[in-house]
Amino acid sequence: MQQNLNFLVVDDFSTMRRIIKNLLNDLGYANVAEADDGNTALPMLKNGNFDFLITDWNMPGMPGLDLLKHVRAEPRLSKMPVLMLTAEAKREQIVEAAQAGVSGYVIKPFTAATLKEKIDKILAAQAAA
Amino acid sequence: MSTLHENNNEYAIWVTAMSQALDQGDKVAFRTALAGFDGARNSEVTTGIRKVALDLQTALDRFRVDSKLIDLAQRQVPDARHRLAHVLRLTDDAAHRTMDLVDRCCPLADHIAHEAERLAVQYEAAEPSHAMQPQLTGFLRQTATSMTAVRGNLAEVLLAQGYQDLSGQIIRGVMTLVDELETALGELVRIGGSELEAGSRSQDSRRGHGPIVPGINHGNAVGGQQDVDALLLDLGV
Repeated sequence: MQQNLNFLVVDDFSTMRRIIKNLLNDLGYANVAEADDGNTALPMLKNGNFDFLITDWNMPGMPGLDLLKHVRAEPRLSKMPVLMLTAEAKREQIVEAAQAGVSGYVIKPFTAATLKEKIDKILAAQAAA
Repeated sequence: MSTLHENNNEYAIWVTAMSQALDQGDKVAFRTALAGFDGARNSEVTTGIRKVALDLQTALDRFRVDSKLIDLAQRQVPDARHRLAHVLRLTDDAAHRTMDLVDRCCPLADHIAHEAERLAVQYEAAEPSHAMQPQLTGFLRQTATSMTAVRGNLAEVLLAQGYQDLSGQIIRGVMTLVDELETALGELVRIGGSELEAGSRSQDSRRGHGPIVPGINHGNAVGGQQDVDALLLDLGV
């Protein structure tokens, strides 16, 4: 497993960013940056060297779905794994995220095991592609 | 205020005058009588309008005095928003405080678990025949196991702080509603309750709906991560 991957965690709640960052650290991923919404995250993604994006959906400023669409529309970022980690639980939203090209979808509240499982699955799929 | 009967008498006088003027072929008298009739009718309409306006004014005055509308608009609703913001801050502070303490405990637990295991191995090798050896190494091994469990529980405590995000999102949703209520109430106070702008805007799905709140109908929501996984599998993700 590539433990030196660069993660960007996007959530408007600092509590949740901290939890995700801690869980990622426990999983052996030490390089975790944070952003509080899509507007902050997008320039970081464009100018940075991130390998994996974990984003909330419901955020002030640019919501996660719009961020996902921007990422998929940007040639350099279009293949980046994007895991949606959100409390949004409507079927049509999950369908919408899937259509926008989400790599995985975890609903809050979640467990450490679920997060690990989804990240591993996405990375395995990426390696196989 | 004139009654219908009084008006009828007044109308009768002018109708009779018009009839006489017609009989006599007196144009001027007829027009005067017609104008008189019109005047009587206008005065009745004016009186009616005045009465309606007065009733409306009375109703509005009573509404202002009786209802808690102004207090609601100017104090209670803004208060409610501040209280909610305060709850947000409190839970945020509490969650961070908890995580700070967890962050401090984790390395301690890691260190104790590691050292206990190391000492157990070392002591076993150094004093294989000492009378206390089984007891001490047993204790050290148990300490290592317990500290690993403590470390696991601390990780769970950390994850449990996610409540702050979920409750915070719900509170923010209610705060938005309170904002809208404040605007609507302000408007209501301003126009004295005669016109109320209708309709709360339906929430834009693009922005998200926030977490599921038990007891509130959220429409077509999934039941948990298993449903999400099944749905994504169907969609080929």
